[in-house]
Amino acid sequence: MNRLVYALLVGLVGAGIVHISVLFLLPHFTERDAWSQLSQVSDFYTPTSITGTTATTPLIRSVDPLFSAVACRFDLDDGVVHVQAPGRVPFWSMSVYDRNGQNIFSFNDRTSADGKVNFVVLTPAQTIEVRKQLPEEFINSVFVESDIDQGIVVVRAFVPDRTWRTAIDDFLSGVSCALR
Amino acid sequence: MFRTLFLTVLVLVIAIGGGAGSVWLALNASEGIGAVAIGGWTAYPDVGTRNADTYSKARFAREGGLALGRAEGIAFAAQRDSGGAALRRECTYTIEGALPSARFWTIYAADEQRIVLPPPTRRVPALHSLEMLRTVDGAIKITISSHPAPGNWLGVTGKGPMQLVLTLYDTPSATAARVLEIELPQVLRTGCDE
Repeated sequence: MNRLVYALLVGLVGAGIVHISVLFLLPHFTERDAWSQLSQVSDFYTPTSITGTTATTPLIRSVDPLFSAVACRFDLDDGVVHVQAPGRVPFWSMSVYDRNGQNIFSFNDRTSADGKVNFVVLTPAQTIEVRKQLPEEFINSVFVESDIDQGIVVVRAFVPDRTWRTAIDDFLSGVSCALR
Repeated sequence: MFRTLFLTVLVLVIAIGGGAGSVWLALNASEGIGAVAIGGWTAYPDVGTRNADTYSKARFAREGGLALGRAEGIAFAAQRDSGGAALRRECTYTIEGALPSARFWTIYAADEQRIVLPPPTRRVPALHSLEMLRTVDGAIKITISSHPAPGNWLGVTGKGPMQLVLTLYDTPSATAARVLEIELPQVLRTGCDE
């Protein structure tokens, strides 16, 4: 009898340990997160539409139907990422996410220098290197310093009505996500 | 010998089964953790950021979303009307009241998994503040119904439960500290189809 009670207690303590480990490991091993879904359709540094057209279901859930968005994955171990897009739209915003899809940094067209999409994502160590001799193409860029290695950049644009659709699609297809 | 084996198996079953099962239950039940409720609307300002609690992080990873950042906006969802009844697609609702300051906002109807509901033929599935018809004092009134309505009409189709998602873009209220200060409009039920 004593041994049975002992076994039950050990089992409960074990359940607690399993509970905590599953909880902390789940974000790292899930195959349903944004990173895994993006990696199934596109490679690193390839801007991919995550909203889809009216006929296709969106790649990422809970994106506003009045928005179009592109996402690209990056790895700062390879170098810094330079994201640019020509043209103007009524509203755009961008976010940098880490490998687990947690939002690290965001800004919109009013917070950028000249209202254009032009920013560089880099680590603190890379910032020091880049600042030593600022390359010509980074002069107007916003520097997004983050302590991550792999991550996702998302650029969202507002589509006020159907007449804007072509202009917004052109804008988003012009988004470049380049490794420098 | 047999007893030792039985006890070992028992310990393992309780540990692995109980541990995994309790995580599963906790993730399905932790819907309300980290929520901010304002007059029937709820928002999760921290979910999808590094400030989220461990349960929200695990649930968020399973859902595969990409949350709006602070500088982008904040989304509120309403599952119930002002009387406390669950929102249904076969009912007609009006939204009335003041909206907090934001550059613009959008509103759409979604199912329980936050997938946008298909709109009636030749309608768009969402409305936004830049196309609103306003009364002389600047207030807004939106009708959500499967039947056409004058004024601002958000058309829905089908039957079953739904939720309304109101997203404020480029707003100072997006941070968790400021979000409690704002006021949101009421969702009033005006009638239902038999």
